[in-house]
Amino acid sequence: MSNISRLQPASPTPTLPPRPRNLFPVWLAALLAVLWLIVRDLEISFETLAYGVADIGEYFSRYREPDFSDLSRYLELMGVTLATALWGTMFALVVAFFMAPLAARNLSPHPAVYRAAREALNFMRAMPDLLLALIFVAALGLGPLPGALALGVHTAGFLGKFFAESLERVDQGVYEGVTSTGANFPQLVMYAGWPSILREALGYVLYILDRNVRMASVLGLVGAGGIGLALHDTLRMFDYGQSAALILVILATILIIDYASAWLRRRLG
Amino acid sequence: MTTVSILRWPTPNGLPPLPVVVSLCAVLGAMWLTASLVEVDFVRLAGSMGKMAAFAGHFLVMPDWAYLPELFDKMLETIEMTVLATAIAIVVSLPLGVLAARNATPHIAVYRVVRDLLSLMRALPELVWALVFVSAVGLGPLPGVMALALVTVGFMGKFFAESIEVVDHKPVEGVRAHGAGWLQVRVFAMLPQALPDFVGTVMYILDHNLRAATILGLVGAGGIGYDLVMSMRLFQYDRLILIALAIYLVVTLLDRLSDQLRSRIIHGART
Repeated sequence: MSNISRLQPASPTPTLPPRPRNLFPVWLAALLAVLWLIVRDLEISFETLAYGVADIGEYFSRYREPDFSDLSRYLELMGVTLATALWGTMFALVVAFFMAPLAARNLSPHPAVYRAAREALNFMRAMPDLLLALIFVAALGLGPLPGALALGVHTAGFLGKFFAESLERVDQGVYEGVTSTGANFPQLVMYAGWPSILREALGYVLYILDRNVRMASVLGLVGAGGIGLALHDTLRMFDYGQSAALILVILATILIIDYASAWLRRRLG
Repeated sequence: MTTVSILRWPTPNGLPPLPVVVSLCAVLGAMWLTASLVEVDFVRLAGSMGKMAAFAGHFLVMPDWAYLPELFDKMLETIEMTVLATAIAIVVSLPLGVLAARNATPHIAVYRVVRDLLSLMRALPELVWALVFVSAVGLGPLPGVMALALVTVGFMGKFFAESIEVVDHKPVEGVRAHGAGWLQVRVFAMLPQALPDFVGTVMYILDHNLRAATILGLVGAGGIGYDLVMSMRLFQYDRLILIALAIYLVVTLLDRLSDQLRSRIIHGART
């Protein structure tokens, strides 16, 4: 691509400019070398994998007969999972609503506040939600509430960052216009900031809700309620029929949410 | 254009826009109805604040420095799993992305099938796949890499397809007018235009995979997650604080790096 764009128009002198060096093969070779080293270091043996394909096929065939006898319980667990995701997302939304204006460079009342808010959001984002769920389960006991809190804290970091970046992209004139009417910081945020990014923000919230439903279905692994715990238990007991049914329930729910949020996003433009 | 006026705020009558109010009420109603399911109990929440503080107090210990070399090993393994899974996913999802792009697919039926396949792959979270793969191929980083690669192919294939779908049609016609074949049109006209988007996608996926890889160890699929859970279960707070710090450092570093790279790609060199 770069070769073509750097070609000069025909010059009067017969000598062509030197051909630009194409470093692509070097980079590719380096990348492959690194990957090879990684495979060596992780002691991944593709031979065993190749020989194991038959075993894997046999293993997956055990999931062939989903056992839906307990469907009503699964659906109830899925309901708990969805509710956990919803509560987590709303918690994140509330936190992000207050943090994002502070973390937007052009809105923040003071550079120090901006730095602090940014770092706080970074920290929330960097802590994996399963680790947070472990901590909250230890402090609050088992149940969906610690899961919702963990999702909320983790995704508040994401939402806050997304919102802050959207707020930074808003045309500076909008802010100046509202400031010139004598608006203070909260008024500036409420009348210039949020209205300008409302649609983007809704898109982000949908994305986070989508993500939280996926995560909520595995949070059960650490005792934070929902369908993940049931799946973990049935896998532990080698009950492949019930595991298959649980996986299918999760799959169906996530696909439905996926289509619903895609439809909503299209409606939003 | 109608959606623009629906979401305008402040509205002419001075009230918040109706759709926003209605959906907010719906969400609040849903939260109120599900409060019992989630076992939301503000009294319990307030009562556990002391426990939380006590728990946070556990972290005020001297870190177990002797654990550092082992931590470094585990973190390296996590990063290696991330890179390997992302590389495998790139190789697999490039052709799938071409097949799943409406303007590049050989047939509309292929487009539909590949699209559905991709959404199936990304439907289940990595951890569920990791659980299944650990049962299938045993403990270690291999099932983790497989799970990460599988899920990210689903995401990356979709993102690639979407960036191929928005390429400018004129260069494609130009290349085709030279008598380029099917594959040549895709390689020399479509992919170069979508390349900047691809780089952004890869950075995003790398970030996502790193976060996922840190917790895959929870089910025995390699990486730092196993140590994380074990030190949590054994109340080894002197190790836990080091692990949490290491995760924070690595994730933040990659976050900054990908932010910079992305802004350089989007706004051109040097901003």
